[in-house]
Amino acid sequence: MARYAMVTDLRKCVGCQACTVACCQEWGVPAGQARTNVRTTPLSGTFPDLKSTPMVEQCNQCDRPSCVEACPSGATYKDAGGVVQVDGGVCIGCGFCLDACPYANRFINTATRKVDKCDFCSPRVVRGEPPACVATCTAHAKYFGDLEDRGSEVHRLVFWEGARRQETSSVAIGPNVYYLGKPELVALAFSSDPPHSPKLLTAGQALNGLVRPLVVGMVAATFLGQAVAFFAQIHKGEGDSHE
Amino acid sequence: MSSAVPLTPVPLSTEEAAAMSQRSIKKHDVAIMLVHWFNAATWILEVTTGVALITSRLFRVAPAWYSDLIGGVFGSRANLLKFHIALGVLWIAVLLPYAIFGFRNYLRAEMLNFFERDDRRWLVIRLKMILGRTDEPLPPQDAYNAGQKAFALVVWTMVPVVGISGLIMAFQLFSTTAVGWAVVFHYLAVGAVVSGLFIHVYMGAVFPEEKPAFFSMLTGNVNELFAYSHHFKWWRKVKLAEQAHERKQSPGPEKVP
Repeated sequence: MARYAMVTDLRKCVGCQACTVACCQEWGVPAGQARTNVRTTPLSGTFPDLKSTPMVEQCNQCDRPSCVEACPSGATYKDAGGVVQVDGGVCIGCGFCLDACPYANRFINTATRKVDKCDFCSPRVVRGEPPACVATCTAHAKYFGDLEDRGSEVHRLVFWEGARRQETSSVAIGPNVYYLGKPELVALAFSSDPPHSPKLLTAGQALNGLVRPLVVGMVAATFLGQAVAFFAQIHKGEGDSHE
Repeated sequence: MSSAVPLTPVPLSTEEAAAMSQRSIKKHDVAIMLVHWFNAATWILEVTTGVALITSRLFRVAPAWYSDLIGGVFGSRANLLKFHIALGVLWIAVLLPYAIFGFRNYLRAEMLNFFERDDRRWLVIRLKMILGRTDEPLPPQDAYNAGQKAFALVVWTMVPVVGISGLIMAFQLFSTTAVGWAVVFHYLAVGAVVSGLFIHVYMGAVFPEEKPAFFSMLTGNVNELFAYSHHFKWWRKVKLAEQAHERKQSPGPEKVP
């Protein structure tokens, strides 16, 4: 069992979007959409003491992903390597998972009309290649590897260098993307766009809270009704029918 | 039976009843029977696979092992979904012409004319009878009794919802919001039909008094005694039509009663 993780060193990142471009090229994501993005935080502080930092966003492959449960069809699942996958053959594009992600890292691909997101370049990793963003990063700011492997670079960065992940007191679902950098800049990167509580779409709430109990109740009622009639019929025996 | 067709059911003598039970009246066309059994087979397969497609703890109705089992039968969950969609599209392709061509002559004329006084009384008395609260005779019924009509009404409002929401989900039509709500309406509409199906199947296949109705879906015919005692209004129409036909065939001196 592996536990894949990614580490981004914000001290090296220059916000060039080379990772974004490489990702879109690799996976044919339509223009205007992306599985990863480098946003720059707004300026913080007062002149001349201003601060800003790039922040690389992508799916966090959380340990306890809130998107998996929101997916009605089971298209979204966590694989053996801890990576949250989307099976395009099972996804119907209902969008229930979109707001379930506290980091808003899922989107509906306009070409496939199904859910799309970062999967740590699983097909490349299977071939023994690093994820496209890691391979292309001009500043070598991104690291990818297995946290279970004590000799790996990501293990060292997370457990010895103190790389941090974006969690808050209300949203702590075990993201597996870590960030290195000056503590105040990492804090700024995290706080400028904090994760929201996982939400289920209104349609999903209606299905879970209203329609499912209603349907189960209706079906159970008629099933029990005919079952009672059936046993009453066995008990009573059948009379003459017009045969 | 005299040639006069009574307006209301009259008690039959044993000989009359025996003679009537030997004669049959045509109830269903072959096309209708084929559509019925195709529809039945499709519902069984689509509900079996559809239930397996919902795996989330928040929405599922079957345990996880059931989804794994059915997914395993099809090799993968993607194949399972492909089958569910392909069969659903075929179902729409078969039922749509039936709905279009059958609506005027068959459905509107016999099934969806629901809110008649006798139908409402029939439902009330039938319910009381099941509960053992009355021995009142059931009001005479047309080709379909009020229970069958009520189920037809559920089916004919819900089936378009099932088909349209299914297409929206299968091909991601309109918008993500539309697909999301299609999941909800697909679930609800299927639930309403399946709920009614238990009664439909029990009444059709198990309930002794309605057995001729079950066999009529296989042979196309019911015996006249069953028609007389369960669908008197329909029996009367059939008899009147027969007489009118005979008069046309042999315009004799005999007076119309």
